[in-house]
Amino acid sequence: MDLTQPWGTLEAVTSPTASSAPIAADSGLPDWPSYDPDPMYDELVGPGGSPRPAAEALWRHLAELGPEALAERQVAAEREIRAIGVTFTVYDGGVGVDRPWPFDIIPRIIPRDHWQLIEAGLVQRLAALNLFIDDCYHDQRAVSEGVVPADLVTGSPNFRRECVGVDPPGGIWAHICGSDLIRDDQGFWYVLEDNLRVPSGVSYLLENRMVTKHIFPEMFRHYSIEPVDPYVGHLASTLASVSPSSGNPTIVVLTPGIHNSAYFEHAFLAQQLGVELVEGSDLVVLDDDCVYARTIDGLERVDVIYRRVDDLFIDPEVFRPDSMLGVPGLMRAWTAGRVALVNAPGAGIADDKKVYSYVPDIIRFYLGEEPILWTIPTYRCSDPDDRAHVLANLRELVVKPANESGGYGVLVGSQATAGELALAAEQIRDDPNRWVAQPIIQLSTAPTLCDEGIAPRHVDLRPFTLLGADGAYVTRGGLTRVARRKGSLVVNSSQGGGSKDTWVVDAPADPGIAAGFGAGDGTSS
Amino acid sequence: MTTPGASSAPTTDHDARADEDEDGMGAEPDEQRSDTMLLARMAEAVYWAGRHLERAEGTARIVQVHTDAHVDMPVGEDVGWEPLLAIAGVDSEFAERYSGAAGSDDARAAEEDVIEFLLHGDGNASSILASLTAARENLRTARPVIPREAWEACNNLWLSSTDHLAEADSREGRVRWLRRVIAGCQCIHGILLGTMSRDEAMSFLALGQNIERADLTTRVLDVRSESLQPRGADDPYDVVHWMAVLRSLAAYQPFRRAMPARPQGDSTLRFLLQDDRFPRAVGACLTEARAQLKALPHSERAQESCQNASMVVASAPVARLAVGGLSEFLEDVQLALVEIHERIDDTYFRPNFVGWEPTAVTR
Repeated sequence: MDLTQPWGTLEAVTSPTASSAPIAADSGLPDWPSYDPDPMYDELVGPGGSPRPAAEALWRHLAELGPEALAERQVAAEREIRAIGVTFTVYDGGVGVDRPWPFDIIPRIIPRDHWQLIEAGLVQRLAALNLFIDDCYHDQRAVSEGVVPADLVTGSPNFRRECVGVDPPGGIWAHICGSDLIRDDQGFWYVLEDNLRVPSGVSYLLENRMVTKHIFPEMFRHYSIEPVDPYVGHLASTLASVSPSSGNPTIVVLTPGIHNSAYFEHAFLAQQLGVELVEGSDLVVLDDDCVYARTIDGLERVDVIYRRVDDLFIDPEVFRPDSMLGVPGLMRAWTAGRVALVNAPGAGIADDKKVYSYVPDIIRFYLGEEPILWTIPTYRCSDPDDRAHVLANLRELVVKPANESGGYGVLVGSQATAGELALAAEQIRDDPNRWVAQPIIQLSTAPTLCDEGIAPRHVDLRPFTLLGADGAYVTRGGLTRVARRKGSLVVNSSQGGGSKDTWVVDAPADPGIAAGFGAGDGTSS
Repeated sequence: MTTPGASSAPTTDHDARADEDEDGMGAEPDEQRSDTMLLARMAEAVYWAGRHLERAEGTARIVQVHTDAHVDMPVGEDVGWEPLLAIAGVDSEFAERYSGAAGSDDARAAEEDVIEFLLHGDGNASSILASLTAARENLRTARPVIPREAWEACNNLWLSSTDHLAEADSREGRVRWLRRVIAGCQCIHGILLGTMSRDEAMSFLALGQNIERADLTTRVLDVRSESLQPRGADDPYDVVHWMAVLRSLAAYQPFRRAMPARPQGDSTLRFLLQDDRFPRAVGACLTEARAQLKALPHSERAQESCQNASMVVASAPVARLAVGGLSEFLEDVQLALVEIHERIDDTYFRPNFVGWEPTAVTR
């Protein structure tokens, strides 16, 4: 930090000082950066190193800036992130440490015609999953009509008996979904996961855009970029739409507390929504089954709780009795219809790797439509044929526990040792129900600022979908997470992953690329 | 995060809610907000943020002014650095930590120890850095109820103060570091004044700020006057001392404008205790605190103790106190301040909710 500048952390250091002379529009493409993503599919650059049509202006601008100015802007971005306090918490030996949010300044670009299909596909998917969840806790038509096996529902650790027969407002259980999307080496889009419990990351998506606007203001002249800010307004109306009371609802965000790894996001969302950020101890359920907040003016009724506490911790009377994070009686208030919980308890039943493999059928069954987004072919080890195939081809597959989230227990066959493979085979034979397997997908890459310059790094994408009683909304773009080590497929920020701003732009898609939507989803069924 | 630009953005044909405006807020059935609620826990966080910010700024100014005044004093006349510890109320904590150095004859060493202790010393929960850290933690908790810019400014002040701490080791670097802290705190107050709604959260912040200010003013008067009273009014250094007292509280210029007299005992006391317009005068702090309490529900008991404290201060026999008995008087004022704090604490931060009727939320 510059000691001569009293308030260096707030002052931008970048004036757009291009270190190389601007390149005339007709002089062709510059030789810097030299970049060749081959053989992977790259989001911005085609084979041979020329930018895809939508990325041309950005690529040219990066070349004009040159490596030094670009590095300066990266420093300015990191400085801003530190100053505005965008952090995530990592735990090291039980001690939580706040780290600045890792951010790569080179944005990722998605052409709008792709995005329109993704958006339609995500809304379709979330609508169908909600019908499935509601069905699970009522008639279980999907079971009786043979769409899914009974065990998938009642045998799941995410099935909550306490939710049977409950009718949340609008029949909506999963109001907020953070799907993980990936592209393979052909550029085909797939859904990798539906996160329906307490998906996080949207605050970083919004803050990334804010920082990019400060770091690359000039780029917004070259592109018509879809704004991301409207998400908060749509979140507010989604929350309000499921209020059990008439009139202006009192909405709160429920956080496990300041030590939670996503606390920054909880505080950010409460601030953006203009609502209180409560902890379990701030709420109380009285004999009238209503939820009240402890305010300076006594107890005030709460109508909608955007809860960022896991199901099993929200009510010690019903779930884990040792939970200090919950509110005794909250489930009672919810089942009595006196408060809305977003997402509803029990929504996790559809957030499961085995259910994932049935989603195309679930969409067809409830909506009578063909799925728009592709699902990765998934082998269920409970099925004898699938299991035999998995055990014979472990090295070519990714093996995943069916009911975990957050990447726990995932084994990538090609990167595993012989011992790890043997252990996985044993676990699959012991308890085949617990396991699914998928082919290894080589994630697409995006140009990323690294020590060696601009280099390809693997990325995924987490858009957020809202479903309220008043309609659906999808963020324009999503949170792009990037693996910062060469060749690594690990994009989690807790394991050194970074992030990128994601632009949905009004620019043509690469005409030579099939995006992989609609029929031909290649599922194993 | 609604920006003016967003509302003019074109609505896209694939918008799932194409009939709404872009930020989605316009379609809400009722534009009127219900009474904003303020969690007891948030109220406590902003109250303490107000106190800690004030303490950081106040301590920084006192150290800075003392360093300046120290330079002015003739060699051998200086009062040393211990008064700073007394003002900050950390003399015993200091003695515990630096017991070896206390008996040392080396005045320079004492200065360094005292300054280090006041700025960031281990074991000093009221050090400037500890106050900034506490203010930041409280504002972090209270982020949903304070302006984003205020949190960012506080975070930034904390980061800079931590990053530049080594500079404060020299007298020259110390002045710069202290000025940064003072300016940083003023920046946060400015943001709050300029961008925060005058809501209940703001009232709690202002309460914390004013109670802390009043407390600091009494402590400065107490310690300074103790070392001053033996001096005669003709002593040229008497004026220097009283000027230092005023400057410690950023009160010198306002005093000059308000009072015809030279800064002497009685005129300074009258100004710093009873003035109703200077924001760091005890009387003005109490008036402001009471005004903030009036805007809050269930504040009768706290208002009452505020009024009592105001009466004590207003009836202070300043001419007599300038010659003796000031310490005893100031102790009464401090006890009155403690009572205000305790009543706020009882009423809002640790209330017995069982006995409270649920307030019907306006429907």
